[in-house]
Amino acid sequence: MSDTSYKFQKANRGLMERLFEPPQVGKMSPVAKFFAYAVLIFWSLFVIFPIYWVVITAFKDAAAVNQGPYYIPFIDFQPNLDAWRVLQAADPFCDGYAIMRQLGLLVHNTFAFLLSPLMHVEPMEPQICKIYLAFTNSLVIGVASTLLCVTLGSLAAYALARIEYKPKFGNIIIFVILTLMMILATSFVGLKWYVTASVALALFFLMARALGNKFKATLGNGDILFWIISQRILPPIVVIIPVYMMFQAVSLLDTHLGLIIIYAVANLPIVVWLMHDFFAGLPIELEESAQLDGATRFGIFWDIVLPLTRPGLAATTLLTLILNWNEYLFAVFLTTSKAMTMPILVSAKNAGEKGVLWWEMCALIVVMIIPVIVAAIVLQRFIAKGVLLGAVKG
Amino acid sequence: MSHSSDINQPGETPAGLSARQSWAEWIDRHSRTFFIAPAVSLILIFAIFPTFYSIVFALSRVKFTATGLRFRFVWFDNFISEFTGAEQGHFLGRLEGLSVLGWLFAVVVFAAVLWWLYRSAKNGSTWVGMIGRLISASMALFVTYLLASTLFSGNQWGTLLTTLFYVVVGCSLQFIIGTALAFLCSQPIFGKSFFRVLFFIPLMITPLGVGYAFKMVLDITKGPFQPLWDWIGWQNWAWSTDAWAARFFVILGDSWQWIPFIFIIMLAALENVPRDHVEAAQVDGASSIQIFREITWPQIVPVAVTVILIRMIEAFKIVDLPNIMTSGGPGIATESMTLHSYFLWRANDMGSSAAVAYLLLILSVIVCSSFFNYVVLGQLRKAHR
Amino acid sequence: MLTQKPGVPVSFDKVQKSFGPVRVLEELNLQVEPGEFLVLLGASGSGKTTALRILSGLETATEGRVRIGDRDVTDVLPKYRDISMVFQSYALYPHKTVGENIGFPLKVRKVNPVEREVAVREAAAQVQLDQLLHRYPRELSGGQKQRVALARAIIRRPSVFLMDEPLSNLDAKLRGHMRAELKHMQHALGITTIYVTHDQVEAMTLAHRVAILEKGVLQQLDAPAKIYNDPANLFVAQFIGSPPMNIVKGALVGSNFLVQDTKIAVPMKGKVEKAVLGVRPEDCSITTAAKGALKGTVYTTELIGDHTLVTMKISSDFLTVKAAKDYTARSGEVVGVSFAKGQLFVFNSTDGKRIR
Repeated sequence: MSDTSYKFQKANRGLMERLFEPPQVGKMSPVAKFFAYAVLIFWSLFVIFPIYWVVITAFKDAAAVNQGPYYIPFIDFQPNLDAWRVLQAADPFCDGYAIMRQLGLLVHNTFAFLLSPLMHVEPMEPQICKIYLAFTNSLVIGVASTLLCVTLGSLAAYALARIEYKPKFGNIIIFVILTLMMILATSFVGLKWYVTASVALALFFLMARALGNKFKATLGNGDILFWIISQRILPPIVVIIPVYMMFQAVSLLDTHLGLIIIYAVANLPIVVWLMHDFFAGLPIELEESAQLDGATRFGIFWDIVLPLTRPGLAATTLLTLILNWNEYLFAVFLTTSKAMTMPILVSAKNAGEKGVLWWEMCALIVVMIIPVIVAAIVLQRFIAKGVLLGAVKG
Repeated sequence: MSHSSDINQPGETPAGLSARQSWAEWIDRHSRTFFIAPAVSLILIFAIFPTFYSIVFALSRVKFTATGLRFRFVWFDNFISEFTGAEQGHFLGRLEGLSVLGWLFAVVVFAAVLWWLYRSAKNGSTWVGMIGRLISASMALFVTYLLASTLFSGNQWGTLLTTLFYVVVGCSLQFIIGTALAFLCSQPIFGKSFFRVLFFIPLMITPLGVGYAFKMVLDITKGPFQPLWDWIGWQNWAWSTDAWAARFFVILGDSWQWIPFIFIIMLAALENVPRDHVEAAQVDGASSIQIFREITWPQIVPVAVTVILIRMIEAFKIVDLPNIMTSGGPGIATESMTLHSYFLWRANDMGSSAAVAYLLLILSVIVCSSFFNYVVLGQLRKAHR
Repeated sequence: MLTQKPGVPVSFDKVQKSFGPVRVLEELNLQVEPGEFLVLLGASGSGKTTALRILSGLETATEGRVRIGDRDVTDVLPKYRDISMVFQSYALYPHKTVGENIGFPLKVRKVNPVEREVAVREAAAQVQLDQLLHRYPRELSGGQKQRVALARAIIRRPSVFLMDEPLSNLDAKLRGHMRAELKHMQHALGITTIYVTHDQVEAMTLAHRVAILEKGVLQQLDAPAKIYNDPANLFVAQFIGSPPMNIVKGALVGSNFLVQDTKIAVPMKGKVEKAVLGVRPEDCSITTAAKGALKGTVYTTELIGDHTLVTMKISSDFLTVKAAKDYTARSGEVVGVSFAKGQLFVFNSTDGKRIR
């Protein structure tokens, strides 16, 4: 009988037990540890390698790329700034003043846009360094669209978490029918879109007023929320052709505003989905108390609710920003030159006469991914703290 | 400090408020509209309206003229040509000659689907549920038919099956690897926070950059693995001319980008499992794999299925990677439906382009909502019970 | 410092509330006197919180009218009702300091910062928080958080205070202390106060009058002593008092209460087949088996401190007696129990009504 008790004593274990059993509770056995580290290190290499390759290629010249693979800078090949210089030299406008001119253009065109309802100011043409143009475009469009999207999305998400809505089912049917009629009248009868749109809108309000009380079936907040989130399932390619036509009709093609709007719409489902979860998780007494104290709904939202969801708001904003920064499909359809973003500039390097200019392209990709990697590290902290987990738990 | 004396009428703006205050009061009274109207109208104008508008494109022959677009209504011609007409080979694949293996496969799956329908009808389900099941089942049968007459009969398949291939194979692969990595990172190992930051980064890199990076890395003659290809003797072979190798490498790039998504959320879920459950099992002497299977996994299933659903929804939209890495080639081997629609648009065939886009929408709605109804809902219900 | 303000009456007039098909409040009629401290007492789900929330305007009544002072406020927005409310969780804003929390009601009413500062200091002084104005709620103890919530409620000098179980998150010792402070402050300010609780001790000690609710129905509305000494029905009798009133099943025949074959003389007359006899533990005393009105066996004895609780088993009923602190008895010993004259209540056990 004493044999069995001896077997469980730590000091007397055999080689196999020592290899395959953890030394104490909460630790891993040596073999398991070896395999775990092997897998993790292999995966780290797999993750790093493509990034590493892009970065070193950005510091190669044409010869170093074309003559075959060179792996390690300073040993295999001499890194140089050729690619970066070519990016500048190929463009007559990329001189020392390029950044200043770019800023001037930005300010001028912003004023031109803001004043456009009052007076006509000719927007400045982008006779300007392509890289700076694309970079500022990406930045301006990304930030503006994120602000728009997070603001509108949070408002809607809060409302859906706290205010009861009861849209009538019948009104939705009327809306759908009128929309279809408007589209048919515009496409096949040849009426102007603004005529049909205003007639449809006016008819909708009239009919909703007149018939609204007759409809009994209503939808609830859950349905609206599901409807907004489910927009994410819509492939961009479905809406992109009509959006192209719509933008053409109101001359939003190749403008910042056009991309800002379409990016905001594309990301609204994500923002609403994530923010709804944060708002619903707040203790409602805080808002009730503020309501009794006399605060308005917007006051409560601004003064009580938003400060309390700051981590969630920050994480959502960052995520939206990254998605906007990386977006390619909408940009390739809706921009040509003035509003072109970084991804467009990158893919333009693919179509050179002398084949793909890898070194130049890699330089651009490096410019694109540096801010994103910084953002990723910040965002990762939020996710590690479980900030975004709640929404997925459903 | 009393504020009640100047308020007399219930629910109305109190007398004696200044114009600015009553303006603020008016906004507050209508705040329910102001909160939600901007977001809803943006979606209505730029998502719902274009979706409807797209129907007109899909049902028309569209011509560019000097004055704008000219639509000619052709009913379902665009769709018909995708299914039975000239575009059939491109969209569905070459559907000629069912092989014995194809027959066998088709019969087995048909039987399984019918059995599933019979079971759910017997167990009693609502009319709506039954219609949903019928739609899912006919979708499954159609895909089975396509698989049987292309893959199992040695014919090339079309963009529909390619898209499904990316979704099904890509998602499964990414889920398994992502969860395994998350499990490893949730163990007591050194350098945890380094690994979790590093593994997260690919998700944030622009898909375009991922595509070019993989195209470069996998280059046969100039890429870093050139000595390896040489050694195997593949210097005269290019993966971009082999259908399966091209598909595999597209999935590889896609996985490089998306495994981090699964990884990071599964890791957060794993670490959210109450410590004392795990500790109780450790005291009982369970190994870490047993703990994972018996304690942890049942608690993270709801997150797992939701994550798969989200990944699936996004996977249907795949376009950047195949476009950059292979331009859909060799032939149409790696062409996803979005890419198919994009190529049609570039060829100025807007009607067909819209039709393919619509078919993609229908496909992804049916597959995703089937998954949601039969898998996600079931797991969520089990978890909340 | 404490300025008195003329109290305001509050009334519920046939107020009903349903959530869908579920009726949570049945036709509530309630008049609260100016300056009164009224406690709504009930178990969870009794409708007491719903009544309070209807008065606050956070919930709307399905039927009936609510009046504060001479105003019908049934359809008035909460912020125009001139009330303030203390929540069970205190509802302090975690991102605002104590001072900002207390000053919030004035800030949203656009009171200028100088005046606000003065008012905040005054309110904080009343609850002894002057030293903590720059702290954040997470740095405060439970009692201090409670005081902040009180200060935020009094700063506006509302017509009516509403309190939703404000003391239930405190530990027992602090609760006793805060109870005394609350009572003192309410008395000093003279503001009509409606206080919701499930704790009968709070209700008995704080209230001018207690309203006991059960399943959405008002059972009794009276001064605490009256409720204890003269319960309107079986529910109130059993709900109030600790340990609760003893209940013995039997029948009322003439002026005798019959327990099986034992007769107990009671000070009322009637004929009820199914009745219960109610007697409080302190109105019972232990005697020998021969002398007692009823006899039974000792089940347990518990020394509480200044008295001993003796639980007896009489056929299938248990009966608790408050005995002297030096009383001892073996478990299983047969003893008798006698009742103080005039302290016996009889209830109809089918509808719970008191038989007088």
